[in-house]
Amino acid sequence: MRVPRSARIAGALVLAALAAGCGSGPGEPAAPAGATRVFTADNGDITIPVSPKRVVATGYAVPALMEANAPLVGISTWRRGLPMMTPEIRATYDRLAKVAGESAAETNYEAIAQLEPDLIVIGVPKPVLADIDIARLRAIAPVVAIGPSLPSAWRDLSRRQADAAGALATFDTIRDAYQTKTKALAAKYAGVLPGLKFAHLGAYGEIANGNFQREFNGSWGTNVAQDLGANYYGQVKVRGGGSKDVSEYPSIEELPTAFAEAEVITYTVNADGSNPKGVQYVLDSPLWKGLPAVKAGKAFPLRYTEATTYGSAMATADAVDKALAPLLTS
Amino acid sequence: MTTVQVPPARLRSGARVAWLVVALVALLAVAVVSLGIGAHPIAPEDVLRALFAPSDTANDSVVRHIRAPRALLAIGVGAALGVAGVLVQVISRNPLAEPGVLGVTTGAGFAITVGSAMGAAASAVGELALAVVGGVLATVVVFAVGWGSPLRLVLTGVALSSVLSGLSLGLRLLLPDVFDAYRFWAVGSLAGREQAPMLVPLLAIAAALVGSALLSRQLNALALGETVARSLGANVSRVRAGALVLITVLAGAATAVAGPILFVGLIVPHLARRAAGGSVPWLVAYAAVIGPVLLLVSDVGSRVLLPTGEVPVAFVTAFLGGPVLIWAVRRYGAAPL
Repeated sequence: MRVPRSARIAGALVLAALAAGCGSGPGEPAAPAGATRVFTADNGDITIPVSPKRVVATGYAVPALMEANAPLVGISTWRRGLPMMTPEIRATYDRLAKVAGESAAETNYEAIAQLEPDLIVIGVPKPVLADIDIARLRAIAPVVAIGPSLPSAWRDLSRRQADAAGALATFDTIRDAYQTKTKALAAKYAGVLPGLKFAHLGAYGEIANGNFQREFNGSWGTNVAQDLGANYYGQVKVRGGGSKDVSEYPSIEELPTAFAEAEVITYTVNADGSNPKGVQYVLDSPLWKGLPAVKAGKAFPLRYTEATTYGSAMATADAVDKALAPLLTS
Repeated sequence: MTTVQVPPARLRSGARVAWLVVALVALLAVAVVSLGIGAHPIAPEDVLRALFAPSDTANDSVVRHIRAPRALLAIGVGAALGVAGVLVQVISRNPLAEPGVLGVTTGAGFAITVGSAMGAAASAVGELALAVVGGVLATVVVFAVGWGSPLRLVLTGVALSSVLSGLSLGLRLLLPDVFDAYRFWAVGSLAGREQAPMLVPLLAIAAALVGSALLSRQLNALALGETVARSLGANVSRVRAGALVLITVLAGAATAVAGPILFVGLIVPHLARRAAGGSVPWLVAYAAVIGPVLLLVSDVGSRVLLPTGEVPVAFVTAFLGGPVLIWAVRRYGAAPL
């Protein structure tokens, strides 16, 4: 499997942080054994170990804590993130015991108990928490639920997850690398992107309902490009909470009006460059071919739009850079 | 003053023709209305201009490339399911039979499930081919095992459908990606199908409709029972085999292009039966027109019922179908097959 260059850099950063021996980073004195603190999570104020030694992670906490080199002993499966994992992180993923499937309802409580964790970090949206028997998990170890809200909130959420697991040092190293990279790219595009109106076609349109997914600022497909200076104009007609505050699903018939003002259109593609079904449906429509941005040759595919960690977002930033490069010359 | 005495038989025939003309006018009206209704309304004059003097405006594109193919699909699928419903109810002599009872729908769904697991359902053409093959194979198995009596045929279809549904469900639970692929197909819908290859399925439906019209006179005799049919000189086995082949083609093609839309095949024969007055050829003719009207009305409903977007048309046919069927039975009684 081909791994993005920036993802390899993120992997190197993880190794460097490891080599520096920063289980607790510079300025972070090792806590006495058994020391605890109160942590504010989606499920309330929870008393957790200051330096947990055996952590179980599920959902969005899996990629965040693997990348932050937290002391994981068990995880849920995370198939959607496999294409963005570095070889090192993929090896970690393969090695760790799997205690839950892709959905919260597939949590294996006995398997978690057998691992004897001292902290459980659950990274699922609040509504999905109802599928998990939190009381049963609490009988095993302290449980902190830190789930996604807005898509772009992964920056804060992943940091809180790393904080709970006592793995901020590596996390901050990778975050700083991401910020350095995106600042450089933003400077590169400073003369181009801020003056343009962007629109994004997401992957999750439902063909059976004849609709497409439009993503605005702060959504999965747009938030990293925003760090480079892109502005996805407009907003949803009706706010639906969570990701539906920043993306909507209009009928395909509304494609010409939805993207009428867009000077540049980006659209989500799979990690291998192929088009998701919901995107292909739109790209094959005669309505797409009539859009001003498409006629002007300014429709660009974006890979790695599902990034939820700084390491994987570096691959996204590279993909945005590669996709938008023609704008520098036009 | 002289009065013209019209023979009763001619009167009935005249009434039937009149009802057919009314149904055809209704079909035309609903089809035109369906071209004007959607995510945003388009005025009738703009619809006509888009059809007969198109320009490159967005409205013209919407009418020509999305709504017109969708209306055509609704007409083809509605006619196919309606006539298939008539045929299956006549040969099984069961007013509650519908085309899916022969395993066509579950066979198609099983093939989509297995094909998705093997990576063969990635494209619209692949899905279409799998649905056709699955539907035909399931029906062949039902024919082979249940041949001989209508009851055995129906029971075999129900049994095979249960087995295939169970196997499909198991695969979908084991493989989440397969579940996703099946989910998109399993909601019977006319939305988003305008890009699917429709020519071959619609031609197959047209040919099968012609075949149904040709076979309908002999089905008239079969509707009276096998003994009477034989005494009238009908080759019962041949007629039944011909009807089964036609049902498979009609229901298989309709299911392949639109997914499972179950209620149309059940309700349309009941809506048509009273006007047909016990004549299978007229029943087939009415079903070929009422089926599209029902599906077009349901499709328009699917676009406007929710302010947040469309619902699959199968939901609307199910929602409308139950009350309409109860109304038809209460209003006209259970007319004989």
